Amino acid sequence: MSTEIKTNEEVGYSEVSDTVLKMLEPPTAGWYVQLFICIALAIMGFGCWVVQVLYGMGVAGIAHPIMWGVYITNFVFWVGIAHSGTLISAVLYLFRAKFRQPIYRLAEAMTVFAVMTAGLFPIIHVGRPWVAYWLMPYPNERALWPNFRSPLLWDVFAVSTYFTVSSLFFYIGLVPDIATARDKAKTKLRKLVYGITSLGWTGSARQYKNYVAAYLIFASIATPLVISVHSVVSWDFAVGIVPGWHATIFPPYFVAGAIFSGVAMVITLIIPLRKVFKLERIVTGVHFDAMCKLILLTSGVVTYAYVTEFYVAWFSNNMFERFQFWFRPFGEFKPAFWGMVFCNCIAPLTLWYKPFRTNIAYLFCISIVINIGMWLERFNIIFTSLARDFIPAAWGGYNFSWVEAGITVGAFGWFGMWMTLFIKFFPAVAIMEVKEVIPAPRRDGNSDH
Amino acid sequence: MEIAIINEDMKMKGKKVVVGIFTYVDDAIKAITATKESKLDYDVYSPTYVPDLEHAVSDKRSLIGIISIIGGLTGLTAGFTLAIMCSLDWPMRVSSKAIVSIPGFVVIGYEWTILFTALFTLGGIALLCRLPNPFRKVGYHESFSRDKFGVVVGCDDDNIDSVKESLLSAGADEVLVKEGL
Repeated sequence: MSTEIKTNEEVGYSEVSDTVLKMLEPPTAGWYVQLFICIALAIMGFGCWVVQVLYGMGVAGIAHPIMWGVYITNFVFWVGIAHSGTLISAVLYLFRAKFRQPIYRLAEAMTVFAVMTAGLFPIIHVGRPWVAYWLMPYPNERALWPNFRSPLLWDVFAVSTYFTVSSLFFYIGLVPDIATARDKAKTKLRKLVYGITSLGWTGSARQYKNYVAAYLIFASIATPLVISVHSVVSWDFAVGIVPGWHATIFPPYFVAGAIFSGVAMVITLIIPLRKVFKLERIVTGVHFDAMCKLILLTSGVVTYAYVTEFYVAWFSNNMFERFQFWFRPFGEFKPAFWGMVFCNCIAPLTLWYKPFRTNIAYLFCISIVINIGMWLERFNIIFTSLARDFIPAAWGGYNFSWVEAGITVGAFGWFGMWMTLFIKFFPAVAIMEVKEVIPAPRRDGNSDH
Repeated sequence: MEIAIINEDMKMKGKKVVVGIFTYVDDAIKAITATKESKLDYDVYSPTYVPDLEHAVSDKRSLIGIISIIGGLTGLTAGFTLAIMCSLDWPMRVSSKAIVSIPGFVVIGYEWTILFTALFTLGGIALLCRLPNPFRKVGYHESFSRDKFGVVVGCDDDNIDSVKESLLSAGADEVLVKEGL
């Protein structure tokens, strides 16, 4: 496929600015309804968490042997969503993929807000959230330090670094576009807020020279960071000896899964946004086609990883591994396994057929199906392995509770609330970079920079 | 031929600034070339990064990479030092692993290498791009962030006309004269 954005050649600098900045105009009733629903869900989730704090972890259904339960499933799910945003942005930037420009801002926003969501779950899960800061190494009166050999501490360092770096990457990308919004702001308040947040950016030659160099450095460090962070998350499992977890394939399998779910989430978010804000000439069929091909690739990788897990369990001749991989498709949690196979391996195959890749309504549905599948994948890894450990006496099931369901749904409200606020107050499409792929206007008409 | 130094501060040399607003990038490049020959202080603005425009201004590379590397090395050292010092201060053996267990500490060192690189790069942007800059440069025009290119030249009263003529002949849509700082 050609990565040339042919439709964009007809679009000029002013049209890009005007179209994107139109998104920042005073909100409609629909926006307020969406914000209200998201805040209501977030408050509902917060209420469930308060119940858990007051009455203890027992109300959350967390019990032996599945002590990680829904919360860590949610943590891995949201971290996965978070990772693809920076991957889409940084990796595609390094590869100079032009289809990146209109979609990457939304992907980065998704990253930052998804990490903010993911970070809540370990805190919710520790039971005593008011001492969650014990995870950080700080001088204290007991002269205690955390165990630096534990993957759980690696997680603290990896996720906090990831949040910091992805937030900076996101903000630095935003600065020139906020400056564009500042110059077009109609109210004094907006001028002031955009003036402060754009840091007085002018787009001078000196600024661009250093900015472009810095952005390349950010993209270069964000790429290995993303790969390392999701690898570290996978080591939470793989470093343990629990059957079904102790596998060297986990890091690449998790990274591919993160891209898979994240691209699907970008599609879920960008389709309504494109319709509501009339971005059809900026986010075109070419972009959806490219994202679908990325989904096909990563779906193939996760399918290969699923098959490899079964093959290695059989080939190892290890009875615990073999039993675990019999339990997944035929045991107590088999609906989750077959749901995962359908959503992640079979349903995406339809995207080989071009009419499906260009059908926006279908893409919206398939993107949701994929994210349900990716949640089920994390559910499978955590629940089935912990439910069937080495000793049959330690086996057990799980009692789902309304508290963890409420917190899980509330997390979507929390994430949605930030996304809804973001798209109304900051440019959700990268103005400066979309302009960068448009040939600069020349008097002789030869736009070949 | 002496080349004019691109303006690095808020101020421009001269009592006045002449602002040339261009629609076409090749016209702006012509104006830059002419301004360089006149040895006047100037600055260039554009709505996006245009490599040709950057090359016309200067081919010097940014120093930001050096700042980032210093940050990365600082982070690598700090990460390993933190993990090693904390482990030695609380020497509890876990699963027969060494107290100073370098393979396990690689993750901490790796993450902090990236963290400090990012923080130093941020500092580098602030330093080299002169940000934050609450008072935008004299001569900045709001159309520069939308769709126009700008060549802003600092000059004195006696050469305003020649600068205006130079910018207009290069193809400027509009030329404005403002007070310098």
